[in-house]
Amino acid sequence: MTVEAPVFEETPPEVEPARGAVDWARKNLFNNWYNSLLTLALAVFVIWALLALVRALFSADYEIIQANLRLFMIGGFPADQLWRPWAATYCFTVLFGVVGGSLSAGARDRATEAGLPHVRTTFRQIVIRFWPIVGLIVVILSFTTTVTPTLLTIGALVAALGAYYLGRVLPRAIRRWTWLIAVVLIVAAYVALAGFGGVGWQGWGGLQLNLFLAFAGILIAFPFGLLLALGRRSPLPVIRTISVTYIEIVRGVPLITVLLAGAFAIGFLIPRDLRPSLVTRMLIAIIAFEAAYIAEVVRGGLQAVPRGQVEAAQAVGLTPWRTMRLIVLPQALRATIPAMVGQFISLFKDTTLVAVLGITELLDATFIVNSQSAYLGKGLFVVTLSFAALVFWVGSYTMSRESRRLERKLGVGER
Amino acid sequence: MKAIRLLAVLAALSLVLAACTQAADTTTTAGDGTEAPATTAPDGEETTTSAAGGEGSTTTAAGAPAGDGRLAEVQARGSLLCGVNNTVPGFGFVDETGEHVGFDIDFCRAIAAGVLGDAEAVEYVDLTAEQRFTALQAGEVDVLVRNTTFTSSRDGGLGATFLTTTFYDGQGMMVGADGGFTTIEDMTDTTICVLSGTTTELNLTARMADIPYTPLTFDENPQIQAAFIEGQCDGWTSDKSQLAGVRSAWPEDQGGPEALVILEETFSKEPLGPAVLDGDSQWAQVVDWIVLATMQAEEFGIDSTNVDTFTDTEDTNIRNFLGLPVETEEGTAPFDPGLGLAPDFAAQVITQVGNYAEIYDRNVGADSPLGLERLLNELWTNGGLHYPPPYR
Repeated sequence: MTVEAPVFEETPPEVEPARGAVDWARKNLFNNWYNSLLTLALAVFVIWALLALVRALFSADYEIIQANLRLFMIGGFPADQLWRPWAATYCFTVLFGVVGGSLSAGARDRATEAGLPHVRTTFRQIVIRFWPIVGLIVVILSFTTTVTPTLLTIGALVAALGAYYLGRVLPRAIRRWTWLIAVVLIVAAYVALAGFGGVGWQGWGGLQLNLFLAFAGILIAFPFGLLLALGRRSPLPVIRTISVTYIEIVRGVPLITVLLAGAFAIGFLIPRDLRPSLVTRMLIAIIAFEAAYIAEVVRGGLQAVPRGQVEAAQAVGLTPWRTMRLIVLPQALRATIPAMVGQFISLFKDTTLVAVLGITELLDATFIVNSQSAYLGKGLFVVTLSFAALVFWVGSYTMSRESRRLERKLGVGER
Repeated sequence: MKAIRLLAVLAALSLVLAACTQAADTTTTAGDGTEAPATTAPDGEETTTSAAGGEGSTTTAAGAPAGDGRLAEVQARGSLLCGVNNTVPGFGFVDETGEHVGFDIDFCRAIAAGVLGDAEAVEYVDLTAEQRFTALQAGEVDVLVRNTTFTSSRDGGLGATFLTTTFYDGQGMMVGADGGFTTIEDMTDTTICVLSGTTTELNLTARMADIPYTPLTFDENPQIQAAFIEGQCDGWTSDKSQLAGVRSAWPEDQGGPEALVILEETFSKEPLGPAVLDGDSQWAQVVDWIVLATMQAEEFGIDSTNVDTFTDTEDTNIRNFLGLPVETEEGTAPFDPGLGLAPDFAAQVITQVGNYAEIYDRNVGADSPLGLERLLNELWTNGGLHYPPPYR
């Protein structure tokens, strides 16, 4: 609503002494008659909108969210097997803890070796850094009707802290294998959900399914995208043509089309006995789509590596494979991190498109609950859709902030 | 260096995940085979790989013919794939625990009870309006019970076979009680609100051919409701069951349900019922007779609470219907009409799901928030259209 104070680079600061808010407002908001008018009009509008929002927030009937919270989070997961999603949640909190701790320990060691002081991230800093997620968890817990989820969340927090310190004290030799711990934990989370009489991803729903489709989609698509990007730069014409054709065809088609093709075309092409479940088909479609986009992101990174780097590598006698692995890819992939996170954010939001095919992910769940007899005709779409919007905003905003942090840390923009 | 490690992790992860996909699929398949069919875990699509008409069919019917039809396939799979809607109040929606409930859903359960002897052995496939016939054609659902109107073009052009209508609906008009309209003819020069892009809109145009009016179209029912409260609409047209649902939930501060009147006239026919894929008449008649059994049970006065008391009945018709042993020339045996179902299938349906009246009242009728009257959905003996053919 307000215009940011212009940066005066040439004027010395003492000519424009900061004399408090009134002075700043007069200079920036009321410096002539039409700006004053605009400021007043906008102020009235902002206050009116804020009041309306606050009134709506406090008068809304949140019972529909309270009653359907489980449906929003995990869809129709069997009620007597709730320990499974919780176990998976614990796997992931421990995973984040261990990885965070070992990264922090790595930074500490590097700082010590370089003789620099190492500043530890405090708990308070983490809470401030992840305030949207912390806020979302508080909001979600405030919708729960029993105390169990709150206790379990506190337990998960404790587990994450424990894992963080474990990650920090791990000896270096073991720390090199942190990625293996992460893989084991991810597999453990899947087994907790699906193994031994659990529910495979065909039966998942709610936010759980959105997260699964987004993470599995991007992780599995990455190697394919990398191969496509290398294929597109290959000197071999056949490989290059295939890669270019694939990338350009898929990128020229909206995701929803690929999803519909996955649902219907595969449905007719593959005999029913061999046909994978609808969710699996959606996952395949997402991977096929994302691979093409990741290929272009990676290609951008590859092109950012100066030609001199490759020539230097050849000059010292590295084979083409080692040149790629040791010189080109490390630089190229680092340059792609911000774009990859952007791709991931957009995929996270795009996973709601599977609702078109009748899969009850979060957005669809917030829509269909309005057909329940208790909330019929009450016009609660606003409430439930706001909830979905909040969840997606928190996820996307946090990822975008973290990506910017990472970008600054790696100095991607400066090379 | 770090990026390489990252890459390695990602590659390893993707491999593991890919491996998981296959492992998961095979394990769930194996798990399904050994478990009771009572689990509704929707992962049974893979289980159809086992030979159709195999051991699975022995669980239900001794008289079930081996074959490669849909009936044998469903029995081998041990669960019914039922294409449903999840957004229609009273007919098919998802409750707070994520379970499907509703009038249509109960017919899915009835079919499962009749074919498999277990009303819970249903895997619900949520379908959108656009998707439903494609899913049926691709064989992804065994039966479509999704408030679908039986029309000639759907029967002929979309490869669907429509079975006994479970709900006779029709388009009606709802007006304010104080508006002074008693018939559609009264509504000259009025504004009528309608959902855009539906057959409802076309029916309205046809009905109002000689009456000048202004249509006001909306995309969603809640929008019409808001417009109606603001006084933008004189009338609101939709299927009568939907109007009744809206009326029953009309906000108290707007006068409650009494503030609205649904005019008597019905100006379109909307017979809603289950549909199966063309070309499998055995499966079609199985589904048909299960639906008819719910109506026949009502006619006999049998419901889920009193079905046990009929074991000693002398009435041969009822004994036949419930699959109780009857005296024949060859000895004492239950009556088997040769549908491919267990002789006691109707008893299973009534015990586990209920008769038509129970299904109706529970979901859309007197005991539900919709509170719809039976009207045409009554037995022929009560002036309705339900006339189940004799079971003999």
